[in-house]
Amino acid sequence: MSASPENAPRPQTPATAIPALPMADAAPAVPFIEIEALRAEQFIPAAKEALGAMIAEQGRDKLTRPIFNWAGRNSLFPLHWGLACCAIEFAAAFGARWDAERFGVVPRSSPRQCDLMIVNGTVTWKVAHKLVTLYEQMPEPKWVIAMGNCATGGGPFRTAYSVVPGVDKLVPVDLYIAGCPPRPEAMLDGILKLEQLIRERKE
Amino acid sequence: MSEMWINMGPQHPMTHGLWNLRVKIDGEQVLDVDPEMGYLHRGIEKISEDRHYNEVITLMDRCCYVAGMSWEHLYVLAAEQALHVEPPERAEYIRVMSDEFQRIGSHVMWYAAFVQDIGLMTPFLYGMRDRDLVLDLFQSYTGARMTYEYMRVGGVRNDLPPGFIGEARKVCDWLIDRFVEYDQLCLNSDIFHKRCDGLGVMNAQACIDHGITGPMLRSAGVRRDLRKDRPYSAYDRLEFDVAHAEAGDVTARYLVRMEEMRQSVRIIRQSLDWLEHHPGPVLAQELPRWLGAPYAPVGREGYLLKRNYPKGLGFSAIEEPHGEALAYVVNEGSEHPYRVKFRSPVFANVSAARQYLVGYRVADIPPIMGSVDVCVGEVDR
Amino acid sequence: MAAEEWSGELARHLGDRMLSLIPFARTLGRVKFRPEAALEVFRTVHDDLGFDHLSMVGGIDWVDHREVLYTLWSDRRVAYLFLSADLVGSDPHIETASAVWPGANWHERETWELVGIRFDHHPDLRHLLTPDGYAFNPLLRAFKLHEPEELEVKTRHV
Repeated sequence: MSASPENAPRPQTPATAIPALPMADAAPAVPFIEIEALRAEQFIPAAKEALGAMIAEQGRDKLTRPIFNWAGRNSLFPLHWGLACCAIEFAAAFGARWDAERFGVVPRSSPRQCDLMIVNGTVTWKVAHKLVTLYEQMPEPKWVIAMGNCATGGGPFRTAYSVVPGVDKLVPVDLYIAGCPPRPEAMLDGILKLEQLIRERKE
Repeated sequence: MSEMWINMGPQHPMTHGLWNLRVKIDGEQVLDVDPEMGYLHRGIEKISEDRHYNEVITLMDRCCYVAGMSWEHLYVLAAEQALHVEPPERAEYIRVMSDEFQRIGSHVMWYAAFVQDIGLMTPFLYGMRDRDLVLDLFQSYTGARMTYEYMRVGGVRNDLPPGFIGEARKVCDWLIDRFVEYDQLCLNSDIFHKRCDGLGVMNAQACIDHGITGPMLRSAGVRRDLRKDRPYSAYDRLEFDVAHAEAGDVTARYLVRMEEMRQSVRIIRQSLDWLEHHPGPVLAQELPRWLGAPYAPVGREGYLLKRNYPKGLGFSAIEEPHGEALAYVVNEGSEHPYRVKFRSPVFANVSAARQYLVGYRVADIPPIMGSVDVCVGEVDR
Repeated sequence: MAAEEWSGELARHLGDRMLSLIPFARTLGRVKFRPEAALEVFRTVHDDLGFDHLSMVGGIDWVDHREVLYTLWSDRRVAYLFLSADLVGSDPHIETASAVWPGANWHERETWELVGIRFDHHPDLRHLLTPDGYAFNPLLRAFKLHEPEELEVKTRHV
């Protein structure tokens, strides 16, 4: 019970400094147009600030967000790890019959390359802090799927002394898949539902 | 000399589960290893003490998730001895058939994962394809792909559905041909031999000292198989050979598992022949009260309630796909087992990791650990 | 092998270190021995009686005392044998078997942390399944399970 994700340092995204526009520093080539110099000194910094704020506030949502969402939801890279029984069905979904890779889902072994963590099995207190570490290592934006009853609420092992009753006590979960274990179809359905969530995402 | 400890796990493609192999290396040389288990410790033995006898079967499927049937079989054999129940003969044959299908399923899963580890990608797809056929058979009579809850103390839950035997024979014929394909993919490949031959060698004496069982022991030249030496269920009425090899390395373990699958098909065919001509009950007619009420299925005959049940100790030992699994169940006359203890074969096989990993290279660890066939669920329980 | 012959052989080898032999179906029985003489019993059973394979070590909590139970297999006799010892007192302990059977190492670590039986002279008595520093012995009868307490659910901070 030592793992407490709230105390863990969360990665702080640094406030991006707006790069200086090249014309701002350029001295006016023609000295007699003083009005231009005045505009350069007063207007351009103000415009720069306003434009940067607009891009930061509005533009990121309205312009780039749909593009990121489109790209992200069509190439979800789940973390390649197996906790328990559901990991076998997770592997079966990548086999010949279900072929999850046709949805762009490719498991990667390094959390740095992943944007989706599928918690496929029972989470114990012993592995809890490693799970949180892996989650923190994944770059934003990231999603978590709780696959199976154990990851959702402890399942048949919820009364055990060593089991976390649901992975949502450790990391925020976006989607729950029921089943013990869920069939590969259910897992694929969960991934498609997550794609829908990403499509509708507004932040 | 620059020695250091590195962690392979708990999240590592080599581990196939949730455990941590701490390796002390000098360059590429493995100097020492220390497996760290317990990341999947779910307290199955403790939860069992709070459950009715038949409810423990639910946990057995999750205990070893690639060999659920075998673990159900292990538990019900011990519980039957503790509760003094005799299963009908047809149930025993169904159990044996399920066990052997489970062995094929487990070994094919191992084949898919292990050969992928050493760099051949096709076997994963082949293996998962054929495993799904076996799971389809399980699904047709248990209703589930992996967690069956099929066996009961005193028999099995339901009889085989009509048409099952024909389907099972078709799958057997298909699998026998595929095993040839598997061998062609691996044994004709230079990559396979260069990555597997002469690695992870264990001799027979070291295996016995460290309690190693199953395909790892038989690959070292010891012909020990509990199905032959201490036959349970219907194995004394079936013909098969014990697969074995002499070299004790990774390739030998591969050969033993492949031969075991062929022998499994042989056993399945014999039990299918028997099952075809011997209809009958699949659940014992007299069961103690705690097994039936209050969880008796509605409309099922044969639950005669027996009271004042005697105490007992049940012990069972079966040849699981990974090796010898043992269990004892202590019945102190209550509705719940007083104590349940399981012995996992992988537990002992992994505990000897220092014996077969030290002295090899870091790149040899995935093939060697792959050939051990680690199932973390049953190690940690 | 006849039962009398077997019990006679056991008595000849173990002497008064053996307390009783309880017959048990399809095995060679359950031998109770004095825990003080554990190491000699292990060596005798391994070297003279030929039980060279240790299958498992387990413990049972009988509330007033704890029982440690060794399951052995002999390739020569093709049979299982149980060795058991009753350990009384607040700090139950017994000599380690890992000097005789190296495979006992992990089984004893597990029994130590789950049932609370200490194994003297064990080479590496650390936690195996539970986290380091886990203070309870879950397989004792006094340790009760309960439904999980309500914990705060983490949500994404939008």
